[in-house]
Amino acid sequence: MAKRPAVPSLVRNRIAFAALFSAACFGIIAARLIDVMVFGATSTGTVVTLAHPMRADLVDRNGVLIARDLPVSDLYATPSAFWDTNEAAEELAAATGAEKGHLKQIFAAKRGYILVQRGLTPDRRDAVMHLGLPGLVFEEGYKRYYPSGRIVAHAVGQVDTDDHGVSGLELGLETRLRGARDAAPVQLSLDMRIQYVLEHEIEEAAHSFKTKAAGGIVLNVRTGEVLALASMPDYEPNMRKLQAGDSIRNRMTQDVYELGSIFKIFAFTEAIEEQTIRLDEPFEVGKPFKLGHYYIHDFERLGPSLPAAMVFADSSNIGTAQIEMRSGPAKQKPFLKKLGLLDPLKTELPEVASPLYPRHWEVVEAATIGYGHGISVNPLGFVAAAAAVVNGGTTIRPTFLKNDTVQHGERMISEETSRTMRQLLRLVVTDGTGKLADVPGYDVGGKTGTAEKAENGSYAHHLLISSFCGVFPIGDPQYLVFIMLDEPHGNKQSGGFATGGATAAPAVGHTIAKIAPLLGLHRTDTFAAANP
Amino acid sequence: MIRTLNFAFIVITSLVCLAVYRTAEQARVDQRALKTTQIAIVRETDALTVLGAEWARITQPARIQALTQRHLDLSDLPTVELSSLSQLPEKNPPLAAEGEIRNAKAVVPQVPAVSQIIPASEPRIQPARLPDASFASFRTGT
Repeated sequence: MAKRPAVPSLVRNRIAFAALFSAACFGIIAARLIDVMVFGATSTGTVVTLAHPMRADLVDRNGVLIARDLPVSDLYATPSAFWDTNEAAEELAAATGAEKGHLKQIFAAKRGYILVQRGLTPDRRDAVMHLGLPGLVFEEGYKRYYPSGRIVAHAVGQVDTDDHGVSGLELGLETRLRGARDAAPVQLSLDMRIQYVLEHEIEEAAHSFKTKAAGGIVLNVRTGEVLALASMPDYEPNMRKLQAGDSIRNRMTQDVYELGSIFKIFAFTEAIEEQTIRLDEPFEVGKPFKLGHYYIHDFERLGPSLPAAMVFADSSNIGTAQIEMRSGPAKQKPFLKKLGLLDPLKTELPEVASPLYPRHWEVVEAATIGYGHGISVNPLGFVAAAAAVVNGGTTIRPTFLKNDTVQHGERMISEETSRTMRQLLRLVVTDGTGKLADVPGYDVGGKTGTAEKAENGSYAHHLLISSFCGVFPIGDPQYLVFIMLDEPHGNKQSGGFATGGATAAPAVGHTIAKIAPLLGLHRTDTFAAANP
Repeated sequence: MIRTLNFAFIVITSLVCLAVYRTAEQARVDQRALKTTQIAIVRETDALTVLGAEWARITQPARIQALTQRHLDLSDLPTVELSSLSQLPEKNPPLAAEGEIRNAKAVVPQVPAVSQIIPASEPRIQPARLPDASFASFRTGT
């Protein structure tokens, strides 16, 4: 066997080095292949991330859209890139809706990066892209849009240019709206059908009685859900600037009012609960009632005496003051506090005014508060307390979020007292001051309120807050409708009166007649009449 | 031997390089297609978002009522509720299973010939008695 010639060590080392190098290359390639095919490559290319709105949609209880972030683009241009700035200005003006003269002016005068138009919708952005102009840059973003416009502006509120809530539920539900990563809409308790009817009726009443302002609330007295909330004057939430006559003030929560006789609901509830009166017990109402240095009057002379039930139905201040004095301030104040009328209301709306009430609460104050003067509350706080009176006697917390479950709050009064109060409220509509609120078949109960506004330290007889609180069906209440008119003026239709019974009561009646079928309530008279 | 191995390694390396290049190129093409699809999805999602808002705007009750008042002879009258589904009487249970009714056959009994009933010698009278048997099968329940 021939002996192989010895390979020089230098050559051997080179071969070994080449082999190692090749093995290393193979190793790297193999590792990369395994990385690509087994574990997936980490791409170094451009990845398009789907843009998500910053805020979730707001929808009503039936899924109708109330607020949504819409994709918009801000268009910027570099005029030096245009061949002909005048032609570019004309084309961009036509495509974006911007003012042609303004674009020509800024293209000629400015250099660099110029804002052409904010908030371009996708179709306008496509139109601009089809122009094929150089030097254009789009900045993608979102703009909050309210399809219903003014209809629900006060309850929903607004956002600022950075899409942060600044008022209404947009502010109150800020965390929830911005935290919805799955883009699930936030469902409100509002019902846009009911909201529209309420707005429409309030607008009609405000126009008819030439009011300074007006507002209304529809509340489910069992679940505490606010189905509608309207305040006038309103505003257009899709526009940044207010138009003449508009107001962003939500009068149903941000303002407090002396609501007048409508407050007698609580005086009678307290008296019946504490059994300080009998409903057939007569009270002297024939002449002004002297209390300290003051005289308490009625709107009209109601006769020498009235039974307690008719004191409520005819809304006698004189009779109510006497009834309230039997309870006195020591019992009245804790009772109103239990109803939540002396504390700020807690709800999702951030703009809630605190109630105003006398620091020294003596007999005179108790008597006047009994018929709704001397204490100022916001209307939403009032309807929450009224709901507790009629729903069987338990408190509810008004909510703007959909929640179909019945609230079982703290018991305020007995069910028997609640039942008696419902009978009294029905009496107001059948035989008292609230006859114009009656809707045959839906058994409306309610209470009128007419308060004189304070002006220059005294009450002005010609400046009124007229209101009506209606509950239906009164046998087993489900809904409460409250309408308030600020400084209404009597007209031919109301016989010249501007009282709650002549102005707000018919508006509540019209509202109930329209919304009751929408709410799935059946008339009680149709089948009773057809099937005696 | 070493030469052969080296040659084989070079060939394999070349083939693997080609394969990696092909894979990388395919990935690049797919990535571009994915990017295009994602942009299309974004555009479609945006369009759906805008259309949803537009639908909510044009179907709001205030607009519908304004259009109704302008174009239709309808007025804003109180709703009249005549009845409701819950108050309607329940449907009666069927008299027979559906299949039986569909497949039912009206079997008409064979009517004997007149000549068999009435002998030729007798006068042909009282024809009114005959149809009883024929109509019996049609007297089903109501």
